[in-house]
Amino acid sequence: MKCAEIHPNLAAFVLGGLETEEAAEIWQHLDSCPGCQSELQELRKVNRALDAAPPPAAPPAYLKREILSRVRAEQLPASNKAGRAEKSSSLEGQRRSHRTSRFNRFKELRIVLPSTAAAALVAMIALGVFFGFLREETPVATIQLIPAPQEAVGLKGYWGVAEIRPQPSGNQQVELKLNNFEEPKPNSYYELWFVSGDRRISAGSFTSVGEGETRVLLNVAPEARNYRTLLITEEHVDERPASGEEVALKGKVP
Amino acid sequence: MTQRADEPSDERLMINLDGPGVEAALSKLYDRYSRTVFGVGLKILGDRSMAEELVQEVFLKVWRSAHTFDPARGSFSTWLYRVTRSVALDLYRKRASRVRPVSNGTPHIAAARDSSDGPQEVVDESWLSWRMSRALEMLDAPHREVIDLAYFGGLSQREISERTGVPLGTVKTRTASAYKSLRKELAVQGTSQEVIR
Repeated sequence: MKCAEIHPNLAAFVLGGLETEEAAEIWQHLDSCPGCQSELQELRKVNRALDAAPPPAAPPAYLKREILSRVRAEQLPASNKAGRAEKSSSLEGQRRSHRTSRFNRFKELRIVLPSTAAAALVAMIALGVFFGFLREETPVATIQLIPAPQEAVGLKGYWGVAEIRPQPSGNQQVELKLNNFEEPKPNSYYELWFVSGDRRISAGSFTSVGEGETRVLLNVAPEARNYRTLLITEEHVDERPASGEEVALKGKVP
Repeated sequence: MTQRADEPSDERLMINLDGPGVEAALSKLYDRYSRTVFGVGLKILGDRSMAEELVQEVFLKVWRSAHTFDPARGSFSTWLYRVTRSVALDLYRKRASRVRPVSNGTPHIAAARDSSDGPQEVVDESWLSWRMSRALEMLDAPHREVIDLAYFGGLSQREISERTGVPLGTVKTRTASAYKSLRKELAVQGTSQEVIR
């Protein structure tokens, strides 16, 4: 065999990935070819370096979100100060403040809420249809987020949709689609509640990605069928397992 | 991850960390380097959860310490390796001196890694690991695939052909080409070795 035929196979040879007959031909050629022997030594260096390589592995996908979330959280105090300074300085400052991203505006709004609800935005969710009218697997509700009057400024373009489907078990499946819904604070999560008067039934907890669309699939017990208000609250880890006071979103069956 | 010519350089992204595009810049750097940081972390720490902690701490440090990066003193990859090595050493030492309660209630010092090498030796070995990981990340997907299957998967060239549906001749060509690229990349990175030691 000629060198030109050997060279393309040398890497596979070093890897031990050739058939026995092919490897034997290469051994035979190497015995009498210093050039190919030299090439072989170079390729073996690569092989030894590969011994040191980490195995193919990627960190879990949530890690990136956590890192960006922490960056965002650490940036927040500075951006809030800047926002307040702008608002107090001039009308132009206020206009600029209104042009900030929904995310920043959302964060800012949370600051001015009463302490009992300080960490959350209140918005109204209008349900399109009653649960009882819905057929199996047919989305039962189209939920639009309608910001409450005091929160309306700066929330244009903020929307959410919930689709509710009755399940054979009697449970109601709730598919929540939230666009640019801010991530909860560190050590916090969101919880969806069906509310009637002072009674609440939890449909489960979730988090959100902050940017882009967050899709959440939750289930609520059949008893929630007549609970016609939806609340999304922000809950804190390690607190009592009851609903919190920090209401993020709120909706009523019309 | 191979980097397209029209994408911002690592150095450009580091500049962007100090501005409104911080999340986009950090996100891009994460996409480029998180596999390497994680993989090298696994090699050093031998523990998946610790490697995840390493990734998190390293990229937060990249953001917080971006102002300490000086492109005149070396590439971003070299700087990031040094950050990774420093954080890994901290985690290694933290784990090695972890106090763990035992059944009789008496705390004792538990070394979590059974290794005759000290932490410095283990971490120093990671430079070659880092360089090789970066060289592998520079390969495009088809070439990376043959190396993963051949080297890490232990498959023969024929088995790779059968598994991927790629003709045997193409598998051999890609293997040869991948080795050539790795060799070239290692040679380039080797020139900056003195910066590390």
